[in-house]
Amino acid sequence: MKTKLIPNEMYARMLSMDVTEIARYLEETQYKEEIDTLSKDFSGSELVEHATFSNLAKTYRKLQEVSIDEPRFLILEYLRRWDVWNIKTILRGKFYGASSEEIMKYLVPAGELDVEFLEGLTRKDSVAEVIQALDGTDYSPALAQYDGVMLSSVENALDKLYYFRMERAVGGTLSVGGGLLLKYVRREIDIRNLITLFRMNRAGIEANIIQENLIPGGKLHDELSRMAGQPFGEFIRGLEGYPFWGAISDIATADLDSISRIEARLKGYLVRYAWAISNYHPLSILPVLGYIVSKETEVGNIRKLVLGKSAGLSNELIEEQMVVA
Amino acid sequence: MAVIRGTKPTRAVLIQLRRRIKVAQSGHELLKMKRDGLMIEFFEVLTKAKTIRQELVQDLLIAEQRLNMAKGAEGSVAIKSVSFALQSEPSVELDSRNIMGVVVPKITAEAVHKKMYERGYGIIGTSASIDEAADAFESLVDKIISAAEVETSLLKLVDDIDSTKRRVNALEFKVIPDIKDTIRFIGFALEEMDRDNVVRLKKLKAKAVKRAKEEEAAKAAAAAAAEVGSV
Repeated sequence: MKTKLIPNEMYARMLSMDVTEIARYLEETQYKEEIDTLSKDFSGSELVEHATFSNLAKTYRKLQEVSIDEPRFLILEYLRRWDVWNIKTILRGKFYGASSEEIMKYLVPAGELDVEFLEGLTRKDSVAEVIQALDGTDYSPALAQYDGVMLSSVENALDKLYYFRMERAVGGTLSVGGGLLLKYVRREIDIRNLITLFRMNRAGIEANIIQENLIPGGKLHDELSRMAGQPFGEFIRGLEGYPFWGAISDIATADLDSISRIEARLKGYLVRYAWAISNYHPLSILPVLGYIVSKETEVGNIRKLVLGKSAGLSNELIEEQMVVA
Repeated sequence: MAVIRGTKPTRAVLIQLRRRIKVAQSGHELLKMKRDGLMIEFFEVLTKAKTIRQELVQDLLIAEQRLNMAKGAEGSVAIKSVSFALQSEPSVELDSRNIMGVVVPKITAEAVHKKMYERGYGIIGTSASIDEAADAFESLVDKIISAAEVETSLLKLVDDIDSTKRRVNALEFKVIPDIKDTIRFIGFALEEMDRDNVVRLKKLKAKAVKRAKEEEAAKAAAAAAAEVGSV
């Protein structure tokens, strides 16, 4: 599986290419089929964006099809993040009145909800109707938090629900590598919370509001929760000594100019961790997790690369935003 | 010589014109001072406007860059929907202030900079690039409002400098010279009238003298004739 991924050294070469050259290069990879199919509807950066999303959905669906029993259940739980992504995208699209076709372009049917169901949701007239259509699903408790004014509470509730379910599902597994998988999920929650702390502490937001935006669970939840609302410099100093500190130590300073650089580094750290644990039990779900995480990162990198190139951003800036394990 | 049309060359008009020229000259001085003051103010505002415009262009480039980075991180539809998620729009309050008689706008904006959690999108599922794009656009809106205030002030100052300059020039090259010419004209006309009067009086005097002489001569002749008759 790993051989199907674009090697890290290739990103440096892709940085010196233009969008057409990148699309041509992608035609020599596993994205060929999607690029050929979608080239009649899209061109340039849009073609690459949609082709990579489409390929991602196809790959993840294939993983679900070839797996059985508990690994299948775990993969599905993990891939529910794409259901959450799709529901959020549909709600956002409906919120500002986008057409069904426009919303469909940005859906990634890589989770449990299939294309037909998602298409049905996009055809609903309003946010309330979408929420009503999802009544009775696992997502309805989160969706019930919609106040009719802002989507933020629903979005946060959906994300918290996803991580709660994931941690619970992995925590109950007896499969080989289950312990490491749980460690990974907890670390992901910690990293997400850490990114939220970086964003909100930097903006000087009150501790109680930050704590509301932290995902329950994770290994360091209590420690990270105590860091909410701290002055930024103090918060940064408090991070020294944690396992992720090495990934950000050279750029994490009190006068940090961009949190998205920190975010890219922390995501890179998480991908490296996923790969590291994937080698422990070759016949467990862990190598699949490593692949899923790397594939998602690859698609994100290609999108950043192509959109950055077409917007005329400098190579240095694009490189800073890319997640390289 | 350009004399004001329809002016009657009388002493009353002359006095009136002398008063008018005094007013015009002091008005000219005042307007010149206003023009110079406005010019000084204009150059100060111009420097400010140039700086703000440069910062505005810079902020726009940064905002576009951040937006593109956010699009790369989150996808276009997420960015679009996040931008529509905002419910409370910034409000702008218009007031005015006075710079040497020129009324310029004073614009104050409210609720441009929002806290992250007031922007309407979920924090957990979005990336920092969205915050950075939103921050950059909020700064851009602030800068646009400052630029609108400064650039409108600049345009109003230019308009006023222009009209003041026209008034100064009109007074300097038309009104004051015309009044001066008219005063000179009335002066000449009054002198001419004086001369006419002198000549007329001289002639009348000569006539009267002549008549008196003739009457005397006639009286003398009558007296002589009466003498001759009595003899």
